[in-house]
Amino acid sequence: MEPILRQDLRSARPLSGRARVVLCLAGLMWFGLVGVGLWALWGYKNTPGVAAASPHQWPASSQIRPTEHRSTLVMLAHPHCPCTRASLGQLASIMAHSQGRLNAFVLFIKRAGAAPDWEQTDLRQKATAIPGVEVIYDDDGHEARLFNAATSGQVVLYGPNGQLLFSGGITSARGHFGDNAGENSIISFVNQGNSDLTETSVFGCPLFDPQSECRTSIDDGKNQ
Amino acid sequence: MMERTSKTDPLAESRYGSLLGPADTERVAQLFAKHQQDIYQSTDHMFAVLMTLQWIGGLVAAYWIAPKTWVGTTSQTHVHVWAALFLGGAISSLPIFLAITRPGRASTRYTVAVGQMLMGALLIHLTGGRIETHFHVFGSLAFLSFYRDWRVLVPATLVVVADHVLRGVFWPQSVYGVMAASEWRWLEHAGWVLFEDTFLLIAIKRSVSEMWNISERTVESDKLNKELEGYVIQRTGQLAAANRELESEEAERRLAEHALRDSEARYRLLFESNPFPMWVYDLETLKFLAVNEAVVRRYGYSSEELLNMTIKDIRPAEDVPALMEKIAKGSTEPSESEAWRHQKKDGTIIDVEITAYPLSFAGRHAELVLASDITERKRAEEALHRSEEHLRQALKMEAVGKLAGGVAHDFNNLLTAINGHSEMALRRLTPNNSLFRHIEEIKKAGDRAAALTRQLLAFSRKQILQPEILDLNHIVVELNRMLQRLIGEDIDLLMSLKPDIGKVQADPNQLEQVLMNLAVNARDAMPKGGKLMIETSNVYLTETVAGLHVSVPNGNYVMLAVSDSGCGMNEQTRAHIFEPFFTTKEVGKGTGLGLATVYGIVKQSGGTLSVYSEVDHGTTFKMYLPVIEGDVIEKKIDTGELEILRGAETVLVVEDEEVVREMATEILRESGYLVIDAKDANQALSMAAQFDGKIHLMLTDVVMPQMSGRDLADKLKPLRPEMKVLYMSGYTDDAIVHHGVLDQGTAFIGKPFSIEQLTRKMREILDAPVAA
Repeated sequence: MEPILRQDLRSARPLSGRARVVLCLAGLMWFGLVGVGLWALWGYKNTPGVAAASPHQWPASSQIRPTEHRSTLVMLAHPHCPCTRASLGQLASIMAHSQGRLNAFVLFIKRAGAAPDWEQTDLRQKATAIPGVEVIYDDDGHEARLFNAATSGQVVLYGPNGQLLFSGGITSARGHFGDNAGENSIISFVNQGNSDLTETSVFGCPLFDPQSECRTSIDDGKNQ
Repeated sequence: MMERTSKTDPLAESRYGSLLGPADTERVAQLFAKHQQDIYQSTDHMFAVLMTLQWIGGLVAAYWIAPKTWVGTTSQTHVHVWAALFLGGAISSLPIFLAITRPGRASTRYTVAVGQMLMGALLIHLTGGRIETHFHVFGSLAFLSFYRDWRVLVPATLVVVADHVLRGVFWPQSVYGVMAASEWRWLEHAGWVLFEDTFLLIAIKRSVSEMWNISERTVESDKLNKELEGYVIQRTGQLAAANRELESEEAERRLAEHALRDSEARYRLLFESNPFPMWVYDLETLKFLAVNEAVVRRYGYSSEELLNMTIKDIRPAEDVPALMEKIAKGSTEPSESEAWRHQKKDGTIIDVEITAYPLSFAGRHAELVLASDITERKRAEEALHRSEEHLRQALKMEAVGKLAGGVAHDFNNLLTAINGHSEMALRRLTPNNSLFRHIEEIKKAGDRAAALTRQLLAFSRKQILQPEILDLNHIVVELNRMLQRLIGEDIDLLMSLKPDIGKVQADPNQLEQVLMNLAVNARDAMPKGGKLMIETSNVYLTETVAGLHVSVPNGNYVMLAVSDSGCGMNEQTRAHIFEPFFTTKEVGKGTGLGLATVYGIVKQSGGTLSVYSEVDHGTTFKMYLPVIEGDVIEKKIDTGELEILRGAETVLVVEDEEVVREMATEILRESGYLVIDAKDANQALSMAAQFDGKIHLMLTDVVMPQMSGRDLADKLKPLRPEMKVLYMSGYTDDAIVHHGVLDQGTAFIGKPFSIEQLTRKMREILDAPVAA
């Protein structure tokens, strides 16, 4: 029978008290560092973009015509924003729950002077694939401006009479899939005609450059 | 830190094996602890790899899902990418470091558990909170259960709970999808984790129990192995001892076999190389079972032939009954040496001395036989026997000869007187005289006595021979008529004489005597008639001739054979026929001196004699005389009437025997001679000296008391050189003869002599020319 030596049961020599303390401190530092990092990440992810002050009535100058007898949903999206992928996913969920009682438009910003096909991204394809959703290119953000949208993923819901029902995001955080208040509110509006929640935070990339006309316009919109 | 896996472990206690004793518990615990430690370390290593891959995977996922973040038309690297890189690296670094540097320790496991769950949280964030990514949490718990240490699930679960509690407090929508959630909402999510923890705990408990069982089985197995090993060692030792014993026995057996082979080889060599013929034969079948080389050499048969033969096959046919009789008697004891006759392949008969020893050969009742060829020895013994017989015979003959010689000397002197006076008286008387017949009978008796005396001298070889070179055929032819008369008309005398036979030197008178004696002997063997054959031929004799009584020098011989068709002789008779006075004839019909005389004459003549006889078939005597070179002196054997030759010369007669001297003196004086007589040598010398006239011849006795006749002649030679000498004697001595043969040129007349013989001899000498 082969004897079992004590050292066989140990992977290394016992730590001295100082080393143990050092190790504990290192562990705590590591834990703290990681906690801070995660906290920062969580903060980033839960930090909303600029919310839109959408007009209470459907903008008359909009080239998009709301559907009669049905609510109309418009999502303003940046064609390259990775956070918007989650918003589209949630839109698909809303469309599935709306059961044809909702018209939806996804307007991808199409910037003038941008590279060819700049707006041709997988987000557009994903949006196109959602039943009941019409994808429209918003040249130079004209429509976004009409709806005072500044963050990709901004959703506005208008009732059959063209009155604003809901404005906000339909994700719980940046690029975060899953149930969220905005989504639930829209579904409630569409299916039940009312909802307690009419505004939510929007998590997504800014649609316009910081010093762009967009920002001004938004500010102007707020002022209106 | 070393885990405590003592024997107080309830799992260990509950699973304590009945086959193990208390002393084995610590061993079980040690094995269990070692196994556990191995699992901890291997799981640490697994997580080191897994977390590295997770980090890389998170980075790839972040870059793939959200490589950039956009602000209008400008973009920059997405925060998720940096978070995956740095935060992911930070989360993974310590667990990986500890897993590599300090594997197996609880602190490492706990750190790994925390890190793994934090990594799960990060990945969930990086993937947009997809529900699929949440399975990383459950997967991580499952992976952590690989440690088989339920305690690592605690920090892992706490991390999950903390994540949900904190986010539920600060960002409830991000975790619960609602703007405001209950403060216990985290339990809903943590419950699933705890649910999994429950199953994992059960699995870990069973696994640990199995590990303990394995440890027990291992200890039992080790124990059994040790016992088995001890048993194997014991058995191996026993086998080794047995093997050594076997090897020792094998060595002894080999030595014994070697010794046996050596012994067998030596004995085989002794058997095979033995110069004496040796064989083993089956006592039942009498077949040879083994033969040595000497048998092959001596008997001429090959080994294969012998092994297909029986011992009867090497016996002469006439000896086989005796052999069978001896075998029938049987014996289990070594036999005394026995003489047998064996027959070789070429038919030659050899005399052998057999010594036999009964034995068991290849399971057969057999007999070992040693045969010693005694043919030569037997021949030598026979030759020695014959020599001894001849010596005995010679001694006997010597004694008889001495007696005969002594008697003959006196007899001859007396007979000389008797016969001489009788002859002279008859000359003076007429047949009508009444005394004539008496004197004539005295003369006949005297002649027979003289013949008998000659025979005595002849067989005792004391007679004086006067050899001549002669032709045996001539002798035979000359005697033909006499022999014919001698054997009578009932017997046919046949002759077969080779014309070119060699010459021999012998006394013709003695040869005649030989022929006559053999003829008489043959005649007596054929009382009813038959055939008498006389043959002569040349032969070459070697030293040993079958049938000869003595050996003779190699050389050419003339053979004279006298054969009869008579009754023959048996062996016993044949052995004694040459002995004097031995006769098979009736008393009075034979003297027993005939063949003895023949033998004496032949031997005295340098020859030899053989006899071959078969009962009822006849007998053959063969006389061999050596061939000699020389011319034959033609001499007519005078068988006619005798006459007295006269003379006038002066004769000195010297004779110590008075009757002989007076008779000789009277014969010579009546024949005209002037005689001077002397009674001894001294007187003769004196008279010769005193006598004035010429003395022509001296007739002297040879054997005289004072001086022999030879010495007397020598002394008178200077005084009377012209005087011739005639010796007279009744038997030989060394005076004038050597080995019975008269010296060359010596004149001699034997006693008794007749008047005619003496006067004829006188004239032969006196008329012969004087030698230069």
